[in-house]
Amino acid sequence: MTDLTFSRTGRPSRIRLSRGGMRGAVLTCVLAAGALASLLTGGRDDVGLAQLAGLFAGEAASPAEQTMRDIRLPRTLAAAGLGINLGVAGLLLQAVTRNPLASPAILGINQGAALGIVLGLTVPALAVVPGWLLASVFGLAAACLTFAIAGLVSGRIDSMRLILGGVAVGAIGFSAVRLGYTLEDDIAREVVRWTVGDIADLRIDAALRLLAFAVPGLGLAYLMAHRLNLMAMGHAASHGLGFDPRATLVQGTVLAALLTGVSISVAGPIAFVGLVAPHIARWLCGADHRRLLPVVVLIGATLTIWADALSKLLPQAEEAPVGIVVAMLGAPWLLVSVLRRSGTAHV
Amino acid sequence: MSPPLEPQADFMKFPTVFLALALAAGAAQARDVTHELGTTDVPDSPERIVVLEFSFIDALAALNLAPVGIADDDQRDRVQPVWSERIGDDWTSVGTRKTPNLEIIASLQPDLIIADKSRHAAVYETLGQIAPTVVYDSLTGDYEDMLAVADEIGTALGRAEEMDAFQAGHGARMDALRADVSEQTQGDDAQFGVINANGLWLHSPKSYVGSLLASFGFAPAMPLTGSDSYGELYQKTTLEQLSALDPGLLILGKSGDGRTLDQDWNADSLWQQIDAVERGRLFNVSSDLWSRARGMLTAEEIAADIRDIAATLK
Amino acid sequence: MSDARRPEFPGLRGPVTLALLGALLPVLMFAGLFAGAIPLEIETVVNSLLGRDGPRQDFIVLQSRLPRALLAALAGGALALSGALIQALMRNPLASPKIVGINSGAAFAVLVTAFYIPALPHSLLPVPAALGGLMAGALVWWCAQRGDIDPRQLTLVGLAVGLTLDAGVDALLVANTGPESSAPLIWLTGSLWGRGWTHLASVAPVLLTLAAAALILAFRLDLQALGPRRAAGLGVRIGLERTLALLAAVILASVAVSVVGVLGFVGLMAPHVATRLVGGRHRIMLPTAALFGAVLTVGADTLGRAIRPPLEISAGILTALMGAAFFIWLLIAEDRRI
Repeated sequence: MTDLTFSRTGRPSRIRLSRGGMRGAVLTCVLAAGALASLLTGGRDDVGLAQLAGLFAGEAASPAEQTMRDIRLPRTLAAAGLGINLGVAGLLLQAVTRNPLASPAILGINQGAALGIVLGLTVPALAVVPGWLLASVFGLAAACLTFAIAGLVSGRIDSMRLILGGVAVGAIGFSAVRLGYTLEDDIAREVVRWTVGDIADLRIDAALRLLAFAVPGLGLAYLMAHRLNLMAMGHAASHGLGFDPRATLVQGTVLAALLTGVSISVAGPIAFVGLVAPHIARWLCGADHRRLLPVVVLIGATLTIWADALSKLLPQAEEAPVGIVVAMLGAPWLLVSVLRRSGTAHV
Repeated sequence: MSPPLEPQADFMKFPTVFLALALAAGAAQARDVTHELGTTDVPDSPERIVVLEFSFIDALAALNLAPVGIADDDQRDRVQPVWSERIGDDWTSVGTRKTPNLEIIASLQPDLIIADKSRHAAVYETLGQIAPTVVYDSLTGDYEDMLAVADEIGTALGRAEEMDAFQAGHGARMDALRADVSEQTQGDDAQFGVINANGLWLHSPKSYVGSLLASFGFAPAMPLTGSDSYGELYQKTTLEQLSALDPGLLILGKSGDGRTLDQDWNADSLWQQIDAVERGRLFNVSSDLWSRARGMLTAEEIAADIRDIAATLK
Repeated sequence: MSDARRPEFPGLRGPVTLALLGALLPVLMFAGLFAGAIPLEIETVVNSLLGRDGPRQDFIVLQSRLPRALLAALAGGALALSGALIQALMRNPLASPKIVGINSGAAFAVLVTAFYIPALPHSLLPVPAALGGLMAGALVWWCAQRGDIDPRQLTLVGLAVGLTLDAGVDALLVANTGPESSAPLIWLTGSLWGRGWTHLASVAPVLLTLAAAALILAFRLDLQALGPRRAAGLGVRIGLERTLALLAAVILASVAVSVVGVLGFVGLMAPHVATRLVGGRHRIMLPTAALFGAVLTVGADTLGRAIRPPLEISAGILTALMGAAFFIWLLIAEDRRI
């Protein structure tokens, strides 16, 4: 974890291209290995890479080939889409708030979106609204509230208030979701499972929906990359360079809320990807957002694909929800990085 | 798992007259009843009984006793018709089984409370301040375990001989139903699961429904290994895992008319190729009856469902 | 943010507010005896309280509502006091037991105990809760000690510890879906369902002792609020005082959480309200915060019992909704004022 004000961010990256290329290659290999692990594990033992041939077999595909085509490949793609959306959302939020802890879960966007989904399930009038829209609108509302708390009204965002405000907003969203705990077993079990993120039953339509948001989202984020770099230098500096940092803040937040909203409507709130992926990306390739974006895509996808593979590999009767695996990977990382930083902070 | 038919037969041979005589000596006063969480002084013939799990309604209904309060999850239709035929409709809802409303229970001035071991252990002492409380295991165990608990409840109520008589009749009715279907069901691997919009939970052969299906001659589709932990008795299952299991007969428990996951799966050719689906051996039943309402009266209802299913097989 | 150091209100405002809140609490607790799933006549309640003949509901009045009201007051007060101490120590007005990871540590420890040591009697759950909260608190404290104690740093570490433990809580819930999980799930939402005299007796001595100790520390906290340097100049041993006060805060919150679960926002909100009502002097502010926390929790529990019988709405859900909404209003209002 870097420090709260991103003092390093303005510095030009000193990593030479060849080393960058090397790291990119290694990362791609890790991603590919995760994809293999995810594709090769599941409920059936007779499914292997050879069954990818079933993609073109149409009606004649064997059950093993159908499993690969209809279940495993879409699920792995969906995992990748989730990682990309959440990683890019986290990167955007961290850049526009200049706060390394900013991420959909910590700013309350996850919980707001979760509230939207729960309302959609329980309020008949809202049943006609598509889930991704409800999740995005409520996620965005949560983000607005968090930013208002952080000091948007007076025009300057205090990073500690941003985090604490996000925790407060998140608590409101989740107190309503937790009401489900007190209801009967079946609902409680569904709420618990849903709130930790579960992608076991995703099919190709969900995967395509995630990627349909990921691709334009990435394009828009890339168009913002230069301004994100300038924002790192501080609001005064960006004013001096002739653009309004608040417009970038609004655009980045809306985009992040959309990417988070679609992810949550598909898979439930998955925490930590949006927080951790941008950090690993910065650690690998510095602070230039034009380079960070492709790297965060790779890292986000790698994280969720590996989490998906592990959720199927863990030895127990039921699959662990992918969100739990992500948290088990991400939470210790967050803890250790904060601890390491706290140890060296004032030495 | 032991073959369920034999203990049943043993039970019927048991000399019930002798048992009744032996118990008659100790009747007529309050008795110490030993249960899962200790020993309780139960009044001789309790009349205002509050039950906190569904299977206890069944035990009372078998004895034609009407509880004054039921933890019905605040949904009166969860109480099966086969029970309300015998206990009427005068009971008061005391809230959810998970957190029954203690004030309402107290206001009913019960003389006995029947509670569940895993759900209500935390409030056992508090319930004891309201009325004598006996605690049994309602949620785990198979069909035979359910019969044993019903037997214990009969004894706790001072009506052991009536319970024995009912169980004898119940055993005979179940045997008759089994005889009806045994030819059709032999060798078919059947699987029961509860399905809703978010998932499918398969009930393992060691579960309550699993043991019932086995007693009707079905072979288990799932392996007989695995522990008795809740997570292994009721396993969340993906379509891929189900296709690997490939049961020859699939019974899905559903609640209400809402959308369920199998409707989404209809679009998957993998689902269409599951043996049971391909051969048209997919049956929908009430999940309230099959998975929530353990008991003798409801077991006969389930058995009737099984008979209807078997009739379509051959 | 600057409230804690604002010049204190002159005159009688503090003592009067304290006395009013002190009078409101027993009135509210008494009113709570009448409300719930079974509304009671005044005659019934009085008969039960005094043991007189006539219509009575002894269990409802004496075994359920009375101990619950006392427990709600005690636990709510403890959480509020804990929050006030933590905010004063960290000189961060947005800190609370939840945000420094204490609640999550206690919750994690209680769930592990409930799932994997089911033989342990429920009355002993405060022990693992206090241990879990202390361990989370100690981890945060230790990390902060390694550098200088920068309040921001402490909050950041607390947040990371809390998030990690929350992930552990989720994992435990997913791994344990059976009926044995129903009591822990209810408890997690912050509920007083099924609580009685035994629960009260198991936590009251610890909470009352610590509360008394905290109030004695209050005077010294007033000096600390001036800043470490000036406090040191006045002869306050900063390290020891802080450690004692933080220890008291952590145990207060953990023990309260062990018996009523996670009551959201009481610890965060009460000190703010108290500061606005009576100013920043800890001598007055701490007892005011404790009383406000008690009033809030007693009110939430009574409301939750009466809203929709036979179901009970967990007090923690109501305090979180009310508390978070209030907190957000407070933050926005403050931001506008600056």
